Amino acid sequence: MNEAVLLRLDNVEVTYHRVATAVQGVSLEVREGTIVALLGTNGAGKTTTLRAISGFIGLDDARVTDGSIAHQGERIDNRPPHEITARGITLVPERSKVFENLTVAENLEAVVPRRGADARRLADAVWQYFPALAKLRSRDAGLLSGGERQMLAIGAALACAPRLLLVDELSQGLAPLIVQELIGLLQVIRRDLGMTVLLVEQNAAVALDIADHAYVLENGRIVLAGTPDELRKHPDIREFYLGFGGERQRSYRDVKQYRRRRRWYG
Amino acid sequence: MQLAVNVAVLAAIYALISCGYVLIYRVSRVLSLAHGELMMLGAYGLAVTASLFVGHPLIAIGSAALLSVLVGVLVYVLLMRRMTGESVLAAVLTTIALGILLRGGMVLAFGTQTQYPLQQLGWINASLPVGPSARISAAGLLLVLATALVYAGLFAFLRMTRWGIRMRAAGQNPLLAAQRGIRLHGVYALAWGLATFSGGIAGMLLACDAGVEATLATIGLKAFPAALVGGLDSLAGALIGSLVIAFVEVALISYVDPLLSDVVPFFVLLAMLVVRPWGLFGTREELDRV
Amino acid sequence: MTAPRASGYFRIRYDDDIALVRTRTQRVWLGVLALALAGFPFLANSVLLDLANQVLLVSIGAVALMLLTGFAGQISLGHAGLLAVGAFTTGILFKELAAPFWITLPASAVAGALVGLVFGLPSLRLRGLYLAVSTLALHFMVLHAGQEYETRRGLSSGVVIDPPSLFGFALQDGRAWYVVLLAASTATVLLSLNLLRTKTGRSWRAIHGREAVAEAMGIQVPVAKLSAFIVSCTLTSAAGCLAAYYRGFVSAEAFPLFVTIQYVATVIIGGIGSLLGALLGTLFVVLFPQAIEASMNALGLTDRLSSMIFAINQAAFGVAMILFLVFEPQGLVGIWRRIQAWFLLWPFGQKPLGRP
Repeated sequence: MNEAVLLRLDNVEVTYHRVATAVQGVSLEVREGTIVALLGTNGAGKTTTLRAISGFIGLDDARVTDGSIAHQGERIDNRPPHEITARGITLVPERSKVFENLTVAENLEAVVPRRGADARRLADAVWQYFPALAKLRSRDAGLLSGGERQMLAIGAALACAPRLLLVDELSQGLAPLIVQELIGLLQVIRRDLGMTVLLVEQNAAVALDIADHAYVLENGRIVLAGTPDELRKHPDIREFYLGFGGERQRSYRDVKQYRRRRRWYG
Repeated sequence: MQLAVNVAVLAAIYALISCGYVLIYRVSRVLSLAHGELMMLGAYGLAVTASLFVGHPLIAIGSAALLSVLVGVLVYVLLMRRMTGESVLAAVLTTIALGILLRGGMVLAFGTQTQYPLQQLGWINASLPVGPSARISAAGLLLVLATALVYAGLFAFLRMTRWGIRMRAAGQNPLLAAQRGIRLHGVYALAWGLATFSGGIAGMLLACDAGVEATLATIGLKAFPAALVGGLDSLAGALIGSLVIAFVEVALISYVDPLLSDVVPFFVLLAMLVVRPWGLFGTREELDRV
Repeated sequence: MTAPRASGYFRIRYDDDIALVRTRTQRVWLGVLALALAGFPFLANSVLLDLANQVLLVSIGAVALMLLTGFAGQISLGHAGLLAVGAFTTGILFKELAAPFWITLPASAVAGALVGLVFGLPSLRLRGLYLAVSTLALHFMVLHAGQEYETRRGLSSGVVIDPPSLFGFALQDGRAWYVVLLAASTATVLLSLNLLRTKTGRSWRAIHGREAVAEAMGIQVPVAKLSAFIVSCTLTSAAGCLAAYYRGFVSAEAFPLFVTIQYVATVIIGGIGSLLGALLGTLFVVLFPQAIEASMNALGLTDRLSSMIFAINQAAFGVAMILFLVFEPQGLVGIWRRIQAWFLLWPFGQKPLGRP
């Protein structure tokens, strides 16, 4: 538990078009070699946070307007994207995650690994971790199924030899079995390569299974933080993220009440 | 038979120029309308190096080719790079402005007289026999060979080398490419360099064949329909499109009216736009029904 | 309820809201402009008058192109071709049928609309730069047709046209032309202003912004594109007709691709998305060659470089366009608005919210 802090967000605020604040007062830490989960529903600001870290936020006319994002002690907020990529911070995006008109093998060859990393060894490692992909080497990536696509996306990200892997919505649109396979893979990667992962997820059960530490984001603020065990016991998490709704039938009114209650100290 | 030879040579010229259009469009979605003028720059470049390296023709040609690549990269780095964030409209308008600048600049630098670098190179543009009844000029033969080499080289580059794959990736999904560590500026500069090189070769060989003068750039505009007919994002399409247009043009010039030469490519273009707008091999785009 | 202490600028009727000139200051400045324009022909010598006429003539085409490229966001490379359509329609009708002015002008406009339909339909179904491509084809095909006509008729130096006669007056005098061109230019500007306020004009602005979003709002994108193109073609063709009469002859050589680029320059340099920009751009483009010539005279270079004048013009044009595109994308209008803002906001330097 005393690993070095690889990434630290300190009171980060992200604003779109100079007028719309998407994320405010977000502070979180990612320690080396751990898997950290960032939970939240739609629109909570998870993708914005990831984009702010990965440096691609300028494309949506957004900026980090307060606070700081530090990687190994150096500030990386509002730096140009290629600087951040060169540091080994790689993002697996939510949509558009593979090059559709290139084959699987070409997808993996297209990445530019981090300087000084052993590209050969990584390429072989990717084929080992994803044997299913090895069978699809010359298939066009656009023709892959959802699960295969996600595997390819993670594989391509791995081929970049990242130090910090940012994964946006690992489980979105995938069958539960495939999701299980993928999170198992993440654990293997963490163990074998010492990879640090920041996992953004709507599916709290999946994320809490695998994470070493978790944060909950709501309406652009961190409302809860802790180990998965702590969070699994938290009543709000149980009710609204894990679906253990209690005895009575949950209705929209309850959700509204929850949101209203949240606003007090959100 | 002579007809076939003429078609081949004309198609070679169009193919070399239109592969530049395709490269730049495929990689950065920009229509570079300055390509004709850049080709002309290559031709004038040869005139310059030929007079500099009199007696060393190979060095002259080599340096002229290198110069083409350099010019292409410079055009990107100094000008087009600033336009990457802007709308495509602005980028295309910039290439139009660049074309005008180059045209005027070249007349200012080199005058309006036709130049014949071939004399300074010390070579003769022999007329070689092809089969029993046709002849081809040495420059024409070189054009056809150059086209074959350039296209073969580009195909190999794009399919088999890492940077070629990265170029294709950047053309498909620039954001993802950047996220995977591909330096977009480098890829675009490379595309511009290769495009200008290819056009420059055409320009140089044309200079050897017919001399360099200011109106050479209109051939660049005529090669544009070739790129479009084949499909703006397909190299194979550019080759085939060039053949089609060259064939129709030569046929109509020979049998109907020699003055049609400037218009024919655009007739074919218009017909293509009506029938199959994305070209023979281009990616299908959505059609809005009017 | 006390009387509101405010600017004195109230809109209490619907007419007030849709009026083009609203405040007293605007009325005053408009009056000044009208006086200046009216008095100009009496004070200017023939050289200046000719320049002014050129500016007015080019402004019609520039406004037309601004509607298409500046407001609707469609690149067109066929402007010279469309001018040629109008000019040749006029020339042919005059030569073959001795048609008078009040027939050739509408005929030119209709011809322009038809050409716009023919070349617009195939390309406007598509997203992207296909209109640029299509209009390039337009340019070459129209010029070829014009050339064919000249060759067939043996008119090596073009079709010569008599000056038009309006209401019995033959238009030969510079001043008479000034009045006519001023009227035409004003009519074009007013037409455009009103067109931009209609549903059609707003649909153009929408498709300039984001075609996908416009479609989601229910705007028929291809119809909007086509309407913008056809309106632009009609106006440009009419301008071509006037140009033919003004110059007194029609020749395919008078419409090279460089003319198209000059018109595109008026849009770029003036400032995309603004009618004032079209007018400012016109002033720049027409006066630019004069400025170059004047500076060359001043530097004493005229004799040596007289054969290169065209090339110098071209190169200088290219440089000017690039400078504006890279450093001043909002054009002359952008500069004007910055000056305005500085005066209006003084002593505050506050820039508007939501802008860099």
